[in-house]
Amino acid sequence: MAIAKAERLMNLALCLMNTRRPVSKRELRASIEAYHEVTSDDAFNRMFERDKDDLRELGLVIDTVESLDGEFGYLARSDRNRLPDIALDPEEAAALSLAAKVWQQARLAEAASGALQKLRAAGVPYEDVSSALEPRIPAPEPAFEALMVATRERKAVAFDYRKANAVRPEPRLVEPWALECWRGHWYLAGYDRDRADVRVFRLSRISGKVRARGAAAAEVPDHVDVREAVARWAGEGATAVTARIRLRRDSGYPLRARAVATTPVDADWDELEVPYGHGLDAWLAEFGPDVVVLAPEELRAEVVDRLRAVAKG
Amino acid sequence: MSNAIDQTRRMLSLVTYLRERPGARVSEVARAFGVTEAELIGDLNVLPLCGTSFRGGDLLDIDTDGERIWWHNPGTADDVAQPLRLAADEATALLVAARAVANLPGLRDSDRQALQRAGTKLEAAAGEAAGASAHLSVTFESEGSVFATVDRAITERRRLWMRYYSPARDTLTEREVDPIRLFAVGHTYVEGWCRLSEDRRTFRLDRVAEIRLLDEPSDPPRIEPRDLSQGLVQPAGDDPEVVIEVGPGGRWVAEYYPHDSAEELADGGLRITLRTPDPGSLRRLALRLGRDGRIVAPAALAAEARDAAVQALAAYGE
Repeated sequence: MAIAKAERLMNLALCLMNTRRPVSKRELRASIEAYHEVTSDDAFNRMFERDKDDLRELGLVIDTVESLDGEFGYLARSDRNRLPDIALDPEEAAALSLAAKVWQQARLAEAASGALQKLRAAGVPYEDVSSALEPRIPAPEPAFEALMVATRERKAVAFDYRKANAVRPEPRLVEPWALECWRGHWYLAGYDRDRADVRVFRLSRISGKVRARGAAAAEVPDHVDVREAVARWAGEGATAVTARIRLRRDSGYPLRARAVATTPVDADWDELEVPYGHGLDAWLAEFGPDVVVLAPEELRAEVVDRLRAVAKG
Repeated sequence: MSNAIDQTRRMLSLVTYLRERPGARVSEVARAFGVTEAELIGDLNVLPLCGTSFRGGDLLDIDTDGERIWWHNPGTADDVAQPLRLAADEATALLVAARAVANLPGLRDSDRQALQRAGTKLEAAAGEAAGASAHLSVTFESEGSVFATVDRAITERRRLWMRYYSPARDTLTEREVDPIRLFAVGHTYVEGWCRLSEDRRTFRLDRVAEIRLLDEPSDPPRIEPRDLSQGLVQPAGDDPEVVIEVGPGGRWVAEYYPHDSAEELADGGLRITLRTPDPGSLRRLALRLGRDGRIVAPAALAAEARDAAVQALAAYGE
């Protein structure tokens, strides 16, 4: 019967950790039953390479050393693999346990619980936390994992991206810098090679596979503020420009909450001054007959245009 | 859920954990590792097959009577039982989460400080692996003072009074709510028992216009919290169906509204079918879309949007 992969990985890890000198592939094949059972050299070599990668993914630092006779040996040195002392008090441990539950994305959720297991094995107190607060990070789109890895490894990527109003997706070549989740949506900021400029992408608009495209070259700025870029585009940043509207009394609470000035006009209407950013026309149209745009003329025309389209049916 | 990689990760930590705690209880170890007792027993069945040499018989001597766990040769395993450093994924997952929660407006100061302290210590311990976490960040939107009031009401088991904005009706209603829990999924929400509708309700904090803590005790009926893993909006099978056709400029509708289907149209648009208990709430969407889309069905909703647009145009002299 084939030996379970977890048992094989575990044995390889123990062999590499329990040695002070590099162990050769030949020795490992002799002392690990699962390897011993593989008859073909090719199959063994592939399996061994994959297993080393898997263990490195789990954080194990495996050194490769070439001996005098040209044979490669492997070892996981204890000084390079030891977690430095970390002393968390019960309050800190509890807070961290609560935070670790936020991930809904499989890879990061497993990584978070794996990290807690390592910390608890190292003596960090285990606090059974139940809290009335449950922050959750929504499981991101399929592109997330590939982008996260490319960002970390400073790799360029290619993907198909459909802009908000575009009929068809277009190929983009991007050096990813940062991923950010804001209002439940994931965004990528990076250097767009074809446009030779910084761009922000929404992950839900990436279609198909994210392909690796070699090393990134552009210099990464110290600070990439994805949220600021998105908010500015959405007209939510500080804007000095305002629009004047009429709003029916007792309606449009969110407009009132954002207004910089409100004056009653008569028994039924108030006049408001609201920040004028991208998308205000669409938002005002939502209120139908409860909003009348007074100025500027351009905004008035945009709202009327939307309403006409709906009135035509 | 337990694939080979995660099981290996867990077993490596188990070796360290068990060595320090001879006679550890199965139930406690399972809780500390966040697994079921059956999963833990599965791990304990594999561990005695692991060691540095299957021929030399140099294997981990770990066994269990189903209640406690014993390790008989801990002295021989110094190097294999040391606490292991964090992988890049692991450090990223914890650090990004800790920063996101610590920045949640309205979080209690003591919790915030504990998280910040934990984050700093974790960063130091993770060393190089911590670097990757700088590329990832999460912001929870929350109204700090509303959040703090709800949090206090839950802790002190008190009822809340609020004026709440309903975008579907564009109205503010006053209601008393017995809060049950706060959760954040992009925006922050309070789930509670609404005394106005005598039903479970979810309120988005940025739609709370006014909030007050009442002296009356909160007394919500015992209800199962909603399962959020399937998304916040979970339409019922018998909710009325709405069909919306959008052009390329209205494709965002499919991103914002959970839907049953979104069929590609020849012009680059979509035909979206969704269900909602309250189709009237989509009148706003129809008005917003303008030339970027229209309601196809139900006909009554399309007519309602048309009438509202005609009325609105009258104010512009049309």
